[in-house]
Amino acid sequence: MPIFECRDLDKSFGQVRALDGVNISIEPGRIVGLLGPNGSGKTTLMKLANGLLTPSGGELLINGSAPDRNTRAIVSYLPERTCIPLWMSAGQLLDFYRDFYTDFRRDAAEKMFGRLGIPLKQKVKQMSKGTREKAQLILVMSRRAGLYLLDEPIGGVDPAARDFILDTVISNYNPEAAVVISTHIISDVEKVLDEVYFINRGEIVLHDSVDAIREEKGMSVDALFREVFKC
Amino acid sequence: MLGKLLKHEFRATARIMGPLYLVLIALSICANLSIRILDSSPAAALTVLGAILLAAFGLAVTGTVIVAVALMVNRFRTNLMGDEGYIMFTLPVSVDQLVVSKIIVSTVWFIATAAAVLVSALITAFRIEYVEKAVEMISELIRITPGLQALKGAAVIVEVLVLAVTACASFSLLFYAAMSIGHSFSNHKKLLSVVFFFVIQFVMQTAGSLVILASGTLFKPWFSGDIEIIPSVHRALWLAVLYVLIRGAIYYIVTRIMLKKHLNLE
Amino acid sequence: MKWQLRSDAPIYSQLIEHIKLGIVSGEFPPGGKLPSVRDLAGEAGVNPNTMQRAFTELEREGLVNAQRTSGRYVTEDHEMIEETKKDLARAKIKDFLEAMTRLGYGADEIAALVSEQASKEGS
Repeated sequence: MPIFECRDLDKSFGQVRALDGVNISIEPGRIVGLLGPNGSGKTTLMKLANGLLTPSGGELLINGSAPDRNTRAIVSYLPERTCIPLWMSAGQLLDFYRDFYTDFRRDAAEKMFGRLGIPLKQKVKQMSKGTREKAQLILVMSRRAGLYLLDEPIGGVDPAARDFILDTVISNYNPEAAVVISTHIISDVEKVLDEVYFINRGEIVLHDSVDAIREEKGMSVDALFREVFKC
Repeated sequence: MLGKLLKHEFRATARIMGPLYLVLIALSICANLSIRILDSSPAAALTVLGAILLAAFGLAVTGTVIVAVALMVNRFRTNLMGDEGYIMFTLPVSVDQLVVSKIIVSTVWFIATAAAVLVSALITAFRIEYVEKAVEMISELIRITPGLQALKGAAVIVEVLVLAVTACASFSLLFYAAMSIGHSFSNHKKLLSVVFFFVIQFVMQTAGSLVILASGTLFKPWFSGDIEIIPSVHRALWLAVLYVLIRGAIYYIVTRIMLKKHLNLE
Repeated sequence: MKWQLRSDAPIYSQLIEHIKLGIVSGEFPPGGKLPSVRDLAGEAGVNPNTMQRAFTELEREGLVNAQRTSGRYVTEDHEMIEETKKDLARAKIKDFLEAMTRLGYGADEIAALVSEQASKEGS
């Protein structure tokens, strides 16, 4: 059964159609890219998957059910912005995640904090922006979730941090889990993806595997993206 | 899950309220000493110091109460309506649990603040002559007034406590409802929250007045002075509790619907 | 250091090439154990599924053998490794010859240029 499925999914905000007839099916063990320009509906889709928004039409299913508190227990979400409370210390963050998520591997997360040089007593507000982003990523990826949703994880991030993020995704790979990465920066991410969905103005315009695109079209996904979304 | 939410909510708030209570108690001790000093007609410098300490104590009391209210509003706003909301609303908990945890914690702090203020007042008045005399006079007054005797019963204390707790919860919920409506809009979230705060109150006041007018017979005895005082005090308190509960329930329902269906995290 | 991968060819076939190079150059010696899919994928900076696909293909060709629980091992068939080395070399030569032909050189000139350059490089 697909771990993440959209069937003719629609979402409107008033008159604005953010998502239109979206069909997606993602099986466990796949790392999938959701690629599209800003405003194409990527974040809206992620919010729907988390139950932060409700569909206007169609269905969205996580492991066969509509999003609710049970699906949230198996979905690990990395929002676009840094959301961890400023007043908490690194140690308290670990406590928080361990308390609410039974699949949280506290030891692994603590070790990674150590490797990044984040003392457990350090408060989030004392961390640099980059460190906060990495801390949040570590918390999200240290869960043994069924579905990881990463919203623009490499957006405003330096190249070394990008490598760190993609390394973390690869090393946490679990054949029973799926990872969905939404981004508009493709070249770095391409090698990590199994398949990609191109989304534009709320519609899925392409779905294929990375290697098939390279084989059939003789170009990288990055090059194809530039072609498809030429301004 | 609710327990865990409570644990973390207390962690987040105790770090602010705890120190405030300590300051309050410390200043109440100073206030007590100031009164004694001032009473003994001291030198000018000590008079000034005493006056300052007393003023500081007064400020601390007002300040603590204001902070308790501000904290209640701020916790809801930053933890649920702001960026932290992305973490809170994606936890494997229900919206009900999120709201209830906030209500419980803010109510606890309101009651604790009242207790802290009471304790600090007692400390301030400790063994101060004219305060002890005043207390004696009040006790005597209660003893001779039949109506006020009702106030001595344990039942009244329970009823007042219940009313206090329900009122605190309902008070918080009013803010939560206003904020959850205000933040469902894309722009002017804070402004709209304030607007809806007043709109909701206006609507509830009007509705409340209409209800009282419509149920005229229910309240007639009150105005004709034709009643037994003691049972009517109890009845009044329970009616007040019911009234507050209904208002609180309406605010809760509004909050729940807004957070479930119209959540608008940026 | 991530593996250098071209953007116009499928990733899995480039991974196969890279591993073959490692085998013929001795980086992965005959009979030796290969790193796990996950480790090699991390080293290369690629999706473990893609690395798995490369491994499967190498197993199909016989260059790599999977020993039930202990992992994957390079073949001990020296002839096969030699043949693989020659295939890789032939592919490189093919590309080279195409490029030289585009420059306008004929077969004899190419051979002369190659000897000249090779002796200069000081074997």
